[in-house]
Amino acid sequence: MNCVELQQSLAAVEDGSSKEQRAHLRTCPACSSLLEDLKRIVAEAGELQAADEPSPRVWNSIAIALRQEGLIRPQRPPVPSFSARWGWARWLVPAAAASLLVLGVYLHQQSLPNQLAEHAAVAPVANPLGLDDDDLMQEVANNPPAMKPEFEENLRRVNESIRDAQSLVDESPNDPEARRALMDAYQQKSMLFEMAMDRSLP
Amino acid sequence: MVSRRTAKLVAIGVLAAGALVAESKKEYHFTVGSKAGVSVMNPYGSISVRPSSNNTVVVNAVLHSDRVEVDNNQNGNRVDIQSHLLAGADSDSGRVDYEVLVPADASITLHSSTGSLHAEKLHGDVTLEGPGATVDVRDVTDAHVHVKTMNGAVNLNNIQNGHVEVDSLSGEVTLTGVNGPLVQVVSTSGRINYIGDFGNSGEYRLTSHSGDIEATIPEWTSADVSARSVRGEVHDDIPLQPKTHNWFPIDKGRAFAGTMGRVAVSSTVVLRTFSGKIHLRKRSEQQ
Repeated sequence: MNCVELQQSLAAVEDGSSKEQRAHLRTCPACSSLLEDLKRIVAEAGELQAADEPSPRVWNSIAIALRQEGLIRPQRPPVPSFSARWGWARWLVPAAAASLLVLGVYLHQQSLPNQLAEHAAVAPVANPLGLDDDDLMQEVANNPPAMKPEFEENLRRVNESIRDAQSLVDESPNDPEARRALMDAYQQKSMLFEMAMDRSLP
Repeated sequence: MVSRRTAKLVAIGVLAAGALVAESKKEYHFTVGSKAGVSVMNPYGSISVRPSSNNTVVVNAVLHSDRVEVDNNQNGNRVDIQSHLLAGADSDSGRVDYEVLVPADASITLHSSTGSLHAEKLHGDVTLEGPGATVDVRDVTDAHVHVKTMNGAVNLNNIQNGHVEVDSLSGEVTLTGVNGPLVQVVSTSGRINYIGDFGNSGEYRLTSHSGDIEATIPEWTSADVSARSVRGEVHDDIPLQPKTHNWFPIDKGRAFAGTMGRVAVSSTVVLRTFSGKIHLRKRSEQQ
């Protein structure tokens, strides 16, 4: 295994513990140093406080840019868990929350009277990042066990409120209150995502 | 021979003593200037904030085990406190209860997942968040009060000239004596209670998707009120001057709109629910 192969292999075995990796690392100070740096970054990233992080809008912008460049796809890759060992996918959740909020704001803006007719059917419910309720519940697993049923119940209720608000918009596209109700419902779901990602938890 | 009862008592005593030994107290002092910023992030446990008598921030922390530490940091006029969970900490062993004194003009940010959050007698901005946190804020003037909870109960009492925003998914929200340019509550299924006078010529917006909304106000209130429940009922104990024009249909029993009191100084009051009930109730003299 050479240096390039080792770096490629880190995507699969990130801690350098495979037999081939260890053989290369014993003879390559540069790759050993790289691996140590990566481990340190991962360890220190976990120590970041919420106040140190940019707002969800920043993550949303990054996610949009990555999608536009084709580096990530709209649909979430089939990773088994958000809390995968490198944990990078966790960063997409606040972006998803922000996306829900943006979607709600967008729908609210469509309530402008002169735009109502042409935008009456706008109601894309799909999450642009492909994050779904299962992802949310995986994050909830990191919260105290007693909180899980509470999150499940609130997720059910907020989804119900989105459906109801959407039906109102469908029935009365000229009703700005209906659109505001839909925006509020999306904001509530966005808040639920944020809380599931509670940054003060271990 | 030691009886089983005695042995049990001894065992309980040992366990209790162990718990007491594990519990520890810490106190931190910080000198700050005017309009300081103070944040407390506490995964498990309560946070209570009251005003100090001078320009100091005093943090008293009760740690419930040695599996949690208190990290503290001052950067200029900003103080950050965080409970740092160590390996193996859970909601019991990771619990820390905080009593914090801050200058009354300080802005505070409190975060707890499961504990109670309390702030009183401040006139700096107050931000309280936590999924299961119960929230109690009282005697705050001229400040922003922002609350986000999932299912914790929220009680705001005597908030004067506030910019109040409460987002709650299912917890009951009660506002007593709350007024200001903006008072907004958004809930998915929680009940909303408002007891006050809709004062300050402000905008009051109380919405819950499936929760009931009850507003209890004095008859002399000046407000432009509209209430609507899409699937539920509305009740109005106070006679309103009907408006000549409404943008939504006034279905009897499902909506009402009108003005009361002096129009020139009136607030705008919007009460909305999808399937809950709305009740505009007249406050009796005894209340």
